[in-house]
Amino acid sequence: MAMRQTPLTCSGHTRPVVDLAFSGITPYGYFLISACKDGKPMLRQGDTGDWIGTFLGHKGAVWGATLNSDATKAATAAADFTAKVWDAVSGDEVLTLAHKHIVKTVTFTQDSNCLLTGGNDKLLRIYDLSSPDTAPQEIAGHTSAIKKALWCNDDKQILSAAEDKTIRLWDRNSTEVVKTLTFDASVSSMEYMADGEILVITYGKTIAFYNALSLDLIKAVEAPAPISSASLHPEKDFFVAGGEDFKLYKFDYSTKEELESYKGHFGPVHCVRFSPDGELYASGSEDGTLRLWQTAVGKTYGLWKCVLPEDLGTENSEQLYTVPPEIKA
Amino acid sequence: MATPVPVLRLPKGPDPNSRGFDPNSPRFIALCRTSISTSAASELDPEELQKEQHARSVLREKFLRCLFAMTNKQVYFNLHEKVKVEATFGASDIDVLNFQVSDLHTPIGVQKEALIRSRDVISCHFDV
Repeated sequence: MAMRQTPLTCSGHTRPVVDLAFSGITPYGYFLISACKDGKPMLRQGDTGDWIGTFLGHKGAVWGATLNSDATKAATAAADFTAKVWDAVSGDEVLTLAHKHIVKTVTFTQDSNCLLTGGNDKLLRIYDLSSPDTAPQEIAGHTSAIKKALWCNDDKQILSAAEDKTIRLWDRNSTEVVKTLTFDASVSSMEYMADGEILVITYGKTIAFYNALSLDLIKAVEAPAPISSASLHPEKDFFVAGGEDFKLYKFDYSTKEELESYKGHFGPVHCVRFSPDGELYASGSEDGTLRLWQTAVGKTYGLWKCVLPEDLGTENSEQLYTVPPEIKA
Repeated sequence: MATPVPVLRLPKGPDPNSRGFDPNSPRFIALCRTSISTSAASELDPEELQKEQHARSVLREKFLRCLFAMTNKQVYFNLHEKVKVEATFGASDIDVLNFQVSDLHTPIGVQKEALIRSRDVISCHFDV
């Protein structure tokens, strides 16, 4: 019997969700952080979507949010011209890093010792978190606002995407640009997968996969609608994408075939990410919600419960909650 | 006609009254720094480290003996927002997260049995 995807809606934000990130797998499970224009990023349990806490302190829209691998630290980038580092266990603010303009992106190195930031002042900054009063290393070059910056190649290099329609690869030590990719349209998102050194880029209706070291194109796929964000499954068999038509698309990575599309959000999808175990993916939307989607629809995982035909109607079956189908507008 | 995948419940939403990060969650208790970290000088010198460890043990022992001595005594607590309360001290829990007290005199009345969150306490004093 075919099963229909039941997305789990995480409410709480009051404005569009613009960024989200998962932590790695920790002894306490894995976690999810969401950046929202309401200025209040939230931490959730990754497999259930249960709210854990809200990081309070920013005075403007939060454009970027990230967790370190073991989810002990969080970092956020905001329109109040600051990036903040937080203790992700207690929710306390640990550091405020002042910038000269809106900060859009933040990311930790694998050892959580350094933080890379980028924003509307067109500079990349590297902060040493063990000596936060020391001035950050600055990398200049982009000619417009930086949208996303990532560490790659074992934190030896940096990838940045900006409104100037370029993606640049920088050497961390020399701060020199190693390679530049130029596009016709502004890049809407960038995701880096260390295992395999793959870079996932979206622009227009295209989802493109590049080798992160050489910046050679591996393959590109066209979606039915403009895409804001895409994510590759850890095992590289699927990728998911979401964009302006409010839907989530699932594609086969090898064949590039569109496998499924899901409705659910009531606004454009801004960000989508696979969980570290690949069992689910989370999407953030203009509608102010995050939704969790199963990779294998019908599998028992997190809050989803597989019900076999012989279980239905038995006396001692668990109380199950079936979400009524979404009303189509 | 495909049936929707059943779910056990919906994800829990935010608590309107707090910012979360439950101090009673296993992760918080295991990971939160409740103690003061080693001083910079001790990190470099093993002899200094040993002295510091000894001092920590002495202070910890004094603290635990103090908690023990407070049992069944009238204790005066200074809490945040300049609130002062007094109560008969019962016991502390193992992580010193909560103090069990009886006859807690508060500005709005006397509570027969109560738990005071240790994080809310700035200082306390009692007659030995």
